[in-house]
This record gives sequence, structure tokens and C-alpha cells, in this order.
Amino acid sequence: MIASTLLALAFYSEGGGSELPSVLSLLTGHDSVVYHWVNIIYAVVVSILMCVVAITVYSRRQMIPGPFQNLVEMLVEGMYNFLHSILGHNTKRYAPFLGTLFFYILLMNLMGIVPGGHSPSTNINITASLAIIVFLYSQYTGLTQLGIAKYMDHMIGSPRDVIGWCIVPLILPIHVIGEFAKPFSLALRLFGNITGEDILVAAFVGLGVTALSFMHSPIGLPLNIPFILLGILLSTIQALVFTLLSTIYILMMLPHEEHH
Amino acid sequence: MDYQAMLAWALPMGVGLAAVGSGLGLGRAVGSAMEAIGRQPEASGKIQTAMIIGAALIEALTIYALVVFFLLSGKIGAH
Repeated sequence: MIASTLLALAFYSEGGGSELPSVLSLLTGHDSVVYHWVNIIYAVVVSILMCVVAITVYSRRQMIPGPFQNLVEMLVEGMYNFLHSILGHNTKRYAPFLGTLFFYILLMNLMGIVPGGHSPSTNINITASLAIIVFLYSQYTGLTQLGIAKYMDHMIGSPRDVIGWCIVPLILPIHVIGEFAKPFSLALRLFGNITGEDILVAAFVGLGVTALSFMHSPIGLPLNIPFILLGILLSTIQALVFTLLSTIYILMMLPHEEHH
Repeated sequence: MDYQAMLAWALPMGVGLAAVGSGLGLGRAVGSAMEAIGRQPEASGKIQTAMIIGAALIEALTIYALVVFFLLSGKIGAH
């Protein structure tokens, strides 16, 4: 409560119009290096957290799991089964990348709801770099799994007859533009959703402070609590959507045998 | 009317209009998915996955309007 009050006051004094400031930027001020690097710092903190959890659980694994190992196993197995329902027998190759992507994005999104935290996915550079990684990986998958000839065949729409060859000049640009549009839409979707959610929470923190400012109250009304719950929901859905679309993009590059 | 007043009027309007469009689209998509689940409950997992993908693609259009809002809202100026 005290932390959120401090944050509310700091937000109110900043004039609003953006996300809640993090502890780091409150402590160091506007013109420090930390303020400009706050997204990167939180992204690195999230990845270190994930590494520590993974390494401790893996190095102390037991046949009869404790509660913490049980939780992690449940999360990993749930993610694996979800990916298995889409990728089928290819799951084992791609599950590590896609599962890590999901939990990394989820934790980054949830950092904005933690008091004093700041979600790195409110910066378009972070989401764009994730989307570019997915783009490069799916192209690499297409080139190695299909082979260059089949990859080109896929890009020109698999022509099998005269009409197919006639519309190649039409299909090829559509496929190429489509491939490049995918990372754009991935990055913008994640960025827009998480930024919108965090600005919404911050706007209601500001409103709560304004509502009681006539009696010079040091504490604002907790008007932002319903929007924090909405934020938890949105963070999970957006992490899921990013992972799901990445999975589909990789799946589209894999040889699918049921058609031939 | 200067450009700041135009922006302050047009940006929220644009997001609202985009939300109307994707609201209609989402209503159709989710409604049909619910109907399909009601007709064939054993396929609900697959239908749900496809519905989430479709909903994400529809809703991305509103998010583009929202991104434009974020990009240009700094130009309105705080007065």
C-alpha cells in the first residue's frame, strides 16, 4: 500500500500520460543512464530469474519432487502438451525455444504489474527484437527442413499446372510481403497491448490520487485494482498469442505430409 | 482549428472507430466458435486454438490504431 502510494504520488507529480515509473527510475532520476536503460535492465533481470529457477530445479531434481519442482514440472509439461497439440511429432525440436519464449514474455509482461517494476515489453525495441528472432528462426527452419528448392517452391505457391505458373508473379510478392509483415504484426501487437494496459493502470492510479486530493490525503483511492486484474489476464493472453503465432509460423515452414 | 486540436479530436476517434470494427469482427468470430463448440463439444480444444489465433489477428487492427495513438499523442501538447 505504501509502495503504491509513493508510486502514485511520483506518477502524479510527473504529469501522467505514461506508464508508472519503476523503482529504478524513481531512485536515479530522469537524466541518469539507468533511466534510459530501465527496459534492458528489467529484461535482463527477468532472464536471470528464469535461468536461476531452471538451473536450481534441474540440478536438485529428485524422483519424488518437492513442491517447487512440482510447480515447474507442471508449467513445462503443460506448455509441452499445448505445443504438442499443434506441432505433433516435431514438438521435441521446437518446444525449448517456444516454451522459453512464452515464459520470458509472460514474466516481462507481468513485471509491469509488480509494484516498482516496469515491463520491458512497453518498449517497441524489445518486442521487435523478439519478433525478428522468431522471423529468422522460422526462415531458417524453412530453409533447413524443406531445402532450398522446396522452400522456393513454397514461396511461389507450389505451381503444378499452367495456371499455377501464370500467377507466380502475383503469388511471389504476396508471399514475400507476407513473410515480412509477420514480425511487424507480432512486435506491434505485443507492444500496443502491454503499453495500453500499463497506461490504463497508471491513468487510474492518477485518477485515484486526484479523487482524494481535495482533502490533501497522502493515499489515493485504489481505483487501479480491477485494471491490475485485467492486466494479469491480458499479459497471459498476449504471451500466449505471441507464442501461438510463432508456433504457427514455424509450422507453416515445416513439410506437411498430410497433403501429399 | 490548429493541428493540435485536430489530433486531440481525431486520435481517440480513430481508436474508437477501429474498436467498433474489430468488436464486430470478434463478435462474429467468437459467436461462430461458440456455436461450433456447442455443436461438437469434443473438438473444443482445436476450435479454441483457432479462435484465439483469429481473435489475435482481428484485434491487432485495433492495436495498430492504438500504436498510432501512442506515436502521435505526444504532439498534442499538454496545455
